[in-house]
Amino acid sequence: MENTNWILQFFGRLHPLLVHFPIGLLVVALVLELLTLGGKRKGLREGINWMVYIGAGVAACAALFGWFLKTQDEYSGDLVDNHQYTGIATAVLAILTAIILSRTLKKAPLNLKAYRFMLVTTVVLLSIAGHLGANLTHGEDYLTEILPGNEKGYSNLESSALLTELKGASELSELQKDKLNLEVRGLFAHKCYQCHSENKQKGGLVLEHKEGVFKGGTSGLAVVPGQPEESEIYKRIILPANDKKVMPTKGKLLTPDEIALIKLWIEDGAHWSDKAVKVFPEAPLALTQPALPTVTEETHPVDKIVSVYFKDKKVDWNAVVDDRKFIKRAYMDVVGLLPKPTAVNAFIASTNPKKRELLIDELLNDSENYTQNWLSFWNDLLRNDYSGTGFITRGRFQITTWLYNTLKQNKSYDQVVSELMNPSKASEGFIKGIQWRGVVNSSQRTEMQAAQNIGQSLMGVNVKCASCHNSFISNLTLDQAYGFASIFAEKPLELNRCDKPIGKIAKVNFLYPELGSVEGETLKERLLKLSEVMTSKENGRLYRTITNRIWERLIGRGIIEPVDEMDNTPWNAELLDWLASDFIDSGTDLKHLIKRIMTSKAYQLPTVSYKTAEAIKQDYVFKGPVLRRLSAEQFSDAISQVIAPVYVAVAYNPNEEKMPAQRIWHHQKDLTNTVLPLPGKRYFRKTFQLKKENIQDASILISVDDAYKLFINGKPVGTGDNWTDVGKYNVANLLTKGTNCIAVEGDNKGKIGNPASILFAMKVAFKDDSVFNLYSDETWLSTDVAPKANWADLDFEAKRWKKVKNYRTSNWAKLLDFTFKDHQKTFARASLVKQHPFLKALGRPNREIVTTTREEQATLLQALELTNGGFFNGILKQGAKKWLNTYGNDSRLIVDTLYQELLGRAPSKEEQNIVMASLGEQPSTAQVQDVFWSVLMSPEFQFIN
Amino acid sequence: METQNSRREFIKKMTAASIAASTTTISISSFLSSCTPEVQKRAATADTVILLWMAGGMAHTETFDPKAYVPYEKGVESKRILSTFPKIPTVVDGLEFSQGLEGIGSVMDKGAIIRSYKSADLGHILHTRHQYHWHTCYEPPQSVQAPHIGAWIAKELGPVNPVIPPFISIGQRFTMGEAEELKAFHSAGFLGTEYGPFLIPDPSSGLDSVRPPKGMSLKRFESRYKLYKELVNKSEIMEKGSNYQRESLMRSMEQSYRLLNSPEAKVFDLSQEPKDVYDTYNTGRFGLGCLLAKRLAMNGGRFISVSTEYEPFLGWDTHENGHIRAKKMKALIDRPVSQLIKDLDETGHLDKTLIILASEFSRDAIMEGRPGELVKNQVDQPDIIEDEKYYGMHRHFTDGSSILMWGGGVEKGLVYGKTADERPCSSIEKPVVIDQVHQSVYHALGIDAQTHYEIEGRPFYTTPDGKGKPILDLFGKPMQTT
Repeated sequence: MENTNWILQFFGRLHPLLVHFPIGLLVVALVLELLTLGGKRKGLREGINWMVYIGAGVAACAALFGWFLKTQDEYSGDLVDNHQYTGIATAVLAILTAIILSRTLKKAPLNLKAYRFMLVTTVVLLSIAGHLGANLTHGEDYLTEILPGNEKGYSNLESSALLTELKGASELSELQKDKLNLEVRGLFAHKCYQCHSENKQKGGLVLEHKEGVFKGGTSGLAVVPGQPEESEIYKRIILPANDKKVMPTKGKLLTPDEIALIKLWIEDGAHWSDKAVKVFPEAPLALTQPALPTVTEETHPVDKIVSVYFKDKKVDWNAVVDDRKFIKRAYMDVVGLLPKPTAVNAFIASTNPKKRELLIDELLNDSENYTQNWLSFWNDLLRNDYSGTGFITRGRFQITTWLYNTLKQNKSYDQVVSELMNPSKASEGFIKGIQWRGVVNSSQRTEMQAAQNIGQSLMGVNVKCASCHNSFISNLTLDQAYGFASIFAEKPLELNRCDKPIGKIAKVNFLYPELGSVEGETLKERLLKLSEVMTSKENGRLYRTITNRIWERLIGRGIIEPVDEMDNTPWNAELLDWLASDFIDSGTDLKHLIKRIMTSKAYQLPTVSYKTAEAIKQDYVFKGPVLRRLSAEQFSDAISQVIAPVYVAVAYNPNEEKMPAQRIWHHQKDLTNTVLPLPGKRYFRKTFQLKKENIQDASILISVDDAYKLFINGKPVGTGDNWTDVGKYNVANLLTKGTNCIAVEGDNKGKIGNPASILFAMKVAFKDDSVFNLYSDETWLSTDVAPKANWADLDFEAKRWKKVKNYRTSNWAKLLDFTFKDHQKTFARASLVKQHPFLKALGRPNREIVTTTREEQATLLQALELTNGGFFNGILKQGAKKWLNTYGNDSRLIVDTLYQELLGRAPSKEEQNIVMASLGEQPSTAQVQDVFWSVLMSPEFQFIN
Repeated sequence: METQNSRREFIKKMTAASIAASTTTISISSFLSSCTPEVQKRAATADTVILLWMAGGMAHTETFDPKAYVPYEKGVESKRILSTFPKIPTVVDGLEFSQGLEGIGSVMDKGAIIRSYKSADLGHILHTRHQYHWHTCYEPPQSVQAPHIGAWIAKELGPVNPVIPPFISIGQRFTMGEAEELKAFHSAGFLGTEYGPFLIPDPSSGLDSVRPPKGMSLKRFESRYKLYKELVNKSEIMEKGSNYQRESLMRSMEQSYRLLNSPEAKVFDLSQEPKDVYDTYNTGRFGLGCLLAKRLAMNGGRFISVSTEYEPFLGWDTHENGHIRAKKMKALIDRPVSQLIKDLDETGHLDKTLIILASEFSRDAIMEGRPGELVKNQVDQPDIIEDEKYYGMHRHFTDGSSILMWGGGVEKGLVYGKTADERPCSSIEKPVVIDQVHQSVYHALGIDAQTHYEIEGRPFYTTPDGKGKPILDLFGKPMQTT
């Protein structure tokens, strides 16, 4: 820096001032130019010309001054280069534009297009150059740092504060030495690891650990204790910006404070602290157990804390929402269903001052529906599903039955976590992970999946990065990730960095060793210890994480976001820790936590609107809940409740009546292989013996994909054309002692091969209380050749008929109605249904990996499914028929009922008029269907307000 | 170094800047009508991609890379079987295919063949795992959901024609074996369902997906939407300021309405084709898929995949009767694929349409896996063949297979790489891995090699770590030696 010329430096520093002229002039020139398009506003021409000329001139000056600035002041790196190139290019283009313009003006307007093109290009380039320049001045992350998830990991303020402290001291204490070393190592991490870490060893130098730092690289010793002038690091960081050897080569140079810190550290003997360097902010493990503020005007603990917060943020309490809104929220949040109009009216009419709390209690006590609503949240979180990869070669296990019962019994969270960490057969699926056939990347071995999933789901920490290499986004190291994964391994694990073994065996360890040892001889022993360590009350992180998740569910935005990154700063730490402590005090009762939040005024505030998704993430100030869209399951269930059942079959039926009936069809082959049944009619027969006479009762259940005609002993019994609609027949009078025959004509519709099947069960009860059962199975016979007319008769000889094939159940779910038990026809809750294109389109994730937030914004594919999806429109049509049957053609009644049931309110006069006009005097199925659709698509229905 | 290169760097950066200029000024394209296309041409050599997917593991030695023909006779030794068909010449001098592929052979002067593709070694073989790898460039499982190459392209480039979904997948159903594994990569992954595949399992019913629901007249469709709009406008929820969620919902509804109401839907209607054209393509669902792909490519499709469909033990997944099955499969693909190339060439669309024909791996008569990394056998193969059903390529081979490419800037008549003529028929010259294939596609489309998104703190690139290199020879440029 000695060879600087102050005049050049002065001009150089004028560059940032000067650049704004061409920006303004040329951009405005372009805008005016656009206004003259098509020969309009000819009067602007003269002005535009001057703007271009002056703009071009100043651009050239600015570029020149910029070059001074770069050479005279300390600037280097790609960013500066890019800014320089684009800047110079802008100046050149601007001048060319001006030249073409002046020529165009002299000659015919032949070159107008070329001039305009040049002008646009110049302005685009100018914007790029300007943006790069702004990045230089304000930092490359100036714009992006405010985006969600980009909180600053490291601040310079700390280093200068530390420097001031240390400079004041005559001799450094041990503590100060530690601090200095940790600060220097933090600097290494942020400024040097990018090129000098185990992952990328430029010049053979690794600055990640003691050995590497003192070993140095190919250029020599990086650090010579006591002698900064001999230390390669120091020599490099003080070089001028334009020196080829200056470090760092990427990004900004170190500040004088940072350089001074490193110098001081080396001078002081380059002490190396034994403490691990914590580069990234980390939340304390233990809960702070904050005392409640002594706010007298609020009674609810949450509101007391929020009151103080509001005062601080100058937010006023809004009035809580009315009963109508509250009851919809409460129903949706606890049981995931719409309240019936009678329930809404009774709730509004009630004068009980505690009615909201009573309602919450009542809903939480409805264990069945509470379970079927919250099951989706837990399935997402624990990556549990009824179908998915890994099942084919037994590389994956469901935990559905365990999870369902867990929720239904409202097991304490401690017990839930214990049973997941130290599982029985029923709950082992979570830590077992998903094993695809074959060899997998070492960072995806099932033990590592366990570490990653426990980290993410239960502890809110990202282990994924560290399972491949030391994390770039947290303090976690490869060692730690492998130590954690080793808990679940039968044999010791060798560390792999980026899938390459590094010859080091992992030492069993928990992510947070301060919580206790998880070592043990056997896997079982380690899992037991892990379950104890995880649920030890010092592990505040476990409770904070679930508390934050539940809060996010109910309010629409977590106290910490993203909800998987629990080291981030909460918008109110007291609130989070108080709720988590209260949760522990309740015996980790999840329903208590839900109730605690829902009874607060904070939950009952009106929703707050945000213009963009980003606005919810950044600079967040809590003012009330966020508008939430109905989940795929809630949407589907609401339609099932009001319009017509969306699903009637489930993947998991908690009240299943086990029957050995198989889904059979004519065996369709291609050479020797089984293929999907081709379209067309197939004929099925089964003969059987009844040994007794006195039949008390005989009933049949049948479900056929796609259509059937059922015969017994040649007599027609019934038909059906919808497999979800279980045919139930009483056939006592058709059966006789001796041989009987069941015959089914099945029809597979469609144009190409597609799933087809018969599911059949018959139960014959005799007067002596004995029972005879018959089920569809592989003893049935079938043919694809149209047989003679008497094919269904008992005495027909089924020559050349072949045995049927069991097509298994995966394409059909378990029909709730396929039971001999008395039961009320109802719909299947979407949470119990196997992933389905309709639910998928509405945002239910394929649970291949843990999912903790679903997509919030509506997508085109989703809208398409709702607008023309055959499945959805079929349900609406079915519903319309049902409604017309129930309400006749009373348009008024249809409108009023629909609004009450879907929106929980009466239609306004205007709405009533619009809908009735659309329905007309004699509403058709199509008209009713379209009214359903129009109301279902409305934001009022689709959002929890 | 820096100073030496700076001139070249500068020019490179200038080009990048002018590319940026051309893509960011769509709105004023009319204003620039004479200049923009020229600039874009330098950036991308293709606008549209058609992937013809040979699902199930197509044996290179039975198709595009034939070896010594050993006819069937009782008692022939398995180890002698390299190809079960004779060789035939193609339009390209010295390039030979297997019998039954005369049609495709006749259009090889319009495209290139890579004969040295090596699949990954993923241990005990599962088709869908290799397919996942082929389509996403990442080996499953992954800690985040990897997007399909079609989803990446949809995300980066968007639709060519705003009413044609940018990622269309034709021919694959999800109702038989390995359905869940198939679904796992027919996905936009973390990019979001917006960019996911628009599925058309049966090309002859493609139209149903893009017009008002069955049984609903256009008039009724329009009045239904009108009713919805009217009710929304009267609703009290609209009174509360702007809200991004509500707006995204309403925007998506409007887009969907416009798409379904658009005259472009007839692109999906195969009955618009003359009968002779339809018949030429109609070798089955795959052939009709090619016909639909042709119509889409000509009318603004972005990424279209047509699959012969994966079902375990069917299609190219020949585990017995390999010879007979391969013959059937060749008859299925030969006519429609060659017709597709010819038709697109005739209309000039081939220039901007990159067509790729590929399979997850190859097959061999006796070797399962690859030399040195043999894995668990999945079928029995006798040493001496006494029954014709054992005559064919019944085991999975991962060390060499063929990829065909046409159009979109691909060098014409190029033969790239080579496999050995004796078993093991491994790639022995210029081996190619999936990262290179993907990067070549992105290269042709002008998608930056460093394209990535941060997901859970991890920068996730189009090819692992953004390190995939295009095969520049494919595009008529000399191989870089750096």
